[in-house]
Amino acid sequence: MIAARGLSIRTGAGHAAVRSADLAIRPGERLGVVGESGSGKTLLALAMIGMVPEGLQVSGEIAVGGTVVAPGDEAAWQRLRAREVAMIFQEPMSALNPLARVGDTIAEPLMVHRGLTRSAARAQARELLEETGIPQPERRLDQYPHELSGGQRQRVLIALALACDPALLIADEPTTALDAAVALRITDLLVRLARERRMALLFISHDLAAVARTTEAMLVMYGGDIVERGATDRVLADPAHPYTKGLIAARPSLAQRGRRRLPTIPGTVPPLEALAEGCRFAGRCPVELPRCVHLRPAATATASGSAACHLLGAAP
Amino acid sequence: MTLLQVDSVSRRYRLPRRALMRPAPVLTAVDGVSFTLARGETLGVVGESGSGKSTLARLVMGFERPDAGRVLFDGQDNNDLPPAALRAARRRFQMVFQDPFGSLDPRRRVGWSVAEPLRALKGTEDPAPRVAEALEQVGLRAAHAGRYPHEFSGGQRQRIAIARAIITRPALLVADEAVSALDVSVQAQILNLLMDLQEELGLAILFISHDLAVVASTCDRLLVMQGGRVLEAGETGAVLDAPGHDYTRTLLAAARL
Repeated sequence: MIAARGLSIRTGAGHAAVRSADLAIRPGERLGVVGESGSGKTLLALAMIGMVPEGLQVSGEIAVGGTVVAPGDEAAWQRLRAREVAMIFQEPMSALNPLARVGDTIAEPLMVHRGLTRSAARAQARELLEETGIPQPERRLDQYPHELSGGQRQRVLIALALACDPALLIADEPTTALDAAVALRITDLLVRLARERRMALLFISHDLAAVARTTEAMLVMYGGDIVERGATDRVLADPAHPYTKGLIAARPSLAQRGRRRLPTIPGTVPPLEALAEGCRFAGRCPVELPRCVHLRPAATATASGSAACHLLGAAP
Repeated sequence: MTLLQVDSVSRRYRLPRRALMRPAPVLTAVDGVSFTLARGETLGVVGESGSGKSTLARLVMGFERPDAGRVLFDGQDNNDLPPAALRAARRRFQMVFQDPFGSLDPRRRVGWSVAEPLRALKGTEDPAPRVAEALEQVGLRAAHAGRYPHEFSGGQRQRIAIARAIITRPALLVADEAVSALDVSVQAQILNLLMDLQEELGLAILFISHDLAVVASTCDRLLVMQGGRVLEAGETGAVLDAPGHDYTRTLLAAARL
């Protein structure tokens, strides 16, 4: 199991970008993280692999398979990265070395971390590529990233991430740069890999449809707080937090035909320093109470999981 | 009343030669596409990258000439016009792009960028009142004209790009992935703005997107494109309820919650 407890991330100026987040993922579980830009979802993910950019202060603890790792313990993270936790990103081109053949890129961690010989690593790289469903895996080994399509590059990155058989795969917006049909095949692949390998998947996306078809449970983040969590289908069908409700309503839906005005969340996500100390959604919330600005709501049980909202805490 | 008539247009590009003695291969980006768009109507064009939807937008805007077929705007083929007349005609159709940061000059004040289409028309009137009016129409303030693009959020920058597009009081707006880079809550605001402007100004909109859900909730009719051709076309509801192609069904599956 991989878990974060009381994880907070602050900027150099002392503004909280993530506030005491708790999460746990078990083997084979697929957890989605939904949020708009500035929600802290990518920082949360980076903290789970010990890669928070320098200049930010991380506090709280992260436990990887029973061992507690201090956020700043770079030596410990180097041992855990690739073997325990691996990550794929939105833009597969910039994450691959353009001057290296795909086969060599995937073989490298196999030789470094698992001590395989060059030929054994190449054979393993071929198998990994085959597992990702890339057409003609043998031929891909000797190709360069620019010779591949966007979807094929993302499959190469997934093969690379799988190289050391990680317990947790973090995927940060892995389908955002891809066409719809390709994105569908990549999310199908991630679901299959999580099942077959009993690998935990942390799937970060702003695309509710991608999260819906990829994950079993989800977190909703706003302004650095986890505002709601629960089973994916139930949260989407019956959201409890005013932000989750607003987000789902604002999304254009296939059920609306022809021109129809969409319900909106007023305003925009404020900069970190302008967020309320209490509920982060205060100032944009349509059902705000006076205490929301200065008092942070605790998570309260809901039909689908839990949500942090004062309206849910105190029954009228 | 028909505003735009696109009549079996094709656009081919010559690709780099692969061998010295063989003819250069040709890519047919748009292949015999026809449609009409009436005043005040919204037509959605959906397809993935390489489907030809952006080339189609460039043909409609007169940025490129078709190799075959015609693009008629108010019955007039823009490709028959001399360059000066085409520039003048362009005030009637304007475009909004995906990345507002890339289409606004970072070193110029917003007011300068918004007034740009007016300068292209070489008018003599003072652009300031028109800039103020356009900024207010898109939900910004006249005073924002004095600021720089980096002072605005992504959604506000897209509003600025829309202000620049409507400043010439066009009859047609071509929106190429205009909301694709925006967060969901901001995307809804911009889509509503486009629908409001459409009602106020009687705009026709050619709405290009890869997201079928966005097209479903904003467009009267839609075209589904793949490989430069129109796979299917029709009233939005009819296409969504009874898609005629696997590709359309895939797009539906990708957009379903």
